[in-house]
Amino acid sequence: MERILQRDSGALEVLYDRYGRPVYSLVLRISQQPSSAEEIVQDVFLQLWRTADRFQVSRGPLGPWLFTMARNRALDFLRLKREKQRRREDSDSEILPSAVVRPDPEGDIDQSRRAEKVRALMTSLPETQRRAIEMAFFEGMSHSEIASATGEALGTVKSWIRGGLLRLRESLGEASS
Amino acid sequence: MNCEQLAALYEEYALGVLEGDERAELDAHLARTCETCTPGVAQARWVVAQLALSAPDAQPPAALRGKIMDAVQSSADSARGVIPIEKPKTSQQRAMFPAWAWVAAAALALITGYTIRQMNNQNDQLAQLRKQMKLATMQNQALQNQLDMNRMVAMVMMSPDSKPLKLMPKDKNMPMVHAYLHPHMGVAITADQMPSMPLARTLQLWFVPKTGKPLSAAIFHPDSSGEIALVAPVTMPLNEIAALAVTEEPAGGSPQPTSAIAWMAQVN
Repeated sequence: MERILQRDSGALEVLYDRYGRPVYSLVLRISQQPSSAEEIVQDVFLQLWRTADRFQVSRGPLGPWLFTMARNRALDFLRLKREKQRRREDSDSEILPSAVVRPDPEGDIDQSRRAEKVRALMTSLPETQRRAIEMAFFEGMSHSEIASATGEALGTVKSWIRGGLLRLRESLGEASS
Repeated sequence: MNCEQLAALYEEYALGVLEGDERAELDAHLARTCETCTPGVAQARWVVAQLALSAPDAQPPAALRGKIMDAVQSSADSARGVIPIEKPKTSQQRAMFPAWAWVAAAALALITGYTIRQMNNQNDQLAQLRKQMKLATMQNQALQNQLDMNRMVAMVMMSPDSKPLKLMPKDKNMPMVHAYLHPHMGVAITADQMPSMPLARTLQLWFVPKTGKPLSAAIFHPDSSGEIALVAPVTMPLNEIAALAVTEEPAGGSPQPTSAIAWMAQVN
């Protein structure tokens, strides 16, 4: 990040080589459109280039910050699409993610290990619980929207998501310890 | 709810699924930079961000890398390096050179001197260009920040969850100020045709609670074209806000209003 702040574009290439694929995978999963995903990823990395000074190395690793920014962007795109369908109006957003803090002694090096953990955890969840978490994360839906979409009671949806996130927290705690 | 009870909700908050009172409670803790909840939510954001890794693996198009690098290359070039100047190497003993070599050496010295002068000129020009580029970058950043703010304002204005309010001026010659109160995204304030203000004075937005003293929400200044567009966080539960008010205050704002209300709208 120090090199990016010094406007060294080679550093951005290094970051793209490291995070381009997971960021693209995330954005494609949310947007469901390769052409839009490409635009959003381009936008995310250009945003990183423009606003690198707002990222604080001391406050956590870059990966999750980048994922959060990419998710926000992709969900904005999704909401915009839904909004357009409803209102035929246009909008966009460039809200930067808030602080993503994690004491992370291994840095981003163990990203693949964490990816395995997260995938294993998601696979181990019952289908309905996994789907509820995916609707929240990849589709940006709230508790009540998920309850309405799935026909389940609001309390059930809350307990699915809360339980799943708790297991995720525990699992990642084990992964980094 | 206290921090211990809210701790169970950190991940759901970071995921964006929390609604209603639970979200408002946590918003309020974060708005006052609660020492327990602020780091707790930041850590929860890290946990939730890891869900990105559960997306099915997909290979981005090969051309994407080039597109991104092309877009940043031009600005990077202008900010890069200085032309190095090599010192002319010393020659051998004078006695060892024939006359023609001295002529050649003199010519070389002249050329070298001219080249160094040219390079110095070029370095001066480069320094000048870098200065201009820095200024342009700062201007670009300022524009970008304004654009970010305008987009946030547009988002709040467009949200169906936002409550539109008209802050009526006490002085009939003043324009109306519009506010859009959103439970999570904040309060967007817009106005145009505002009169210019001296730098020593500022406008200050207040949340007026049903009971108790007004709470400062934002300080702001109309821009050079008399427009206002900003989003400020909502730092108290919406149902406790009785009114929004704007007063004129000394630069930097005041802990409590020191002048009469200039604009006001009832909320609840």
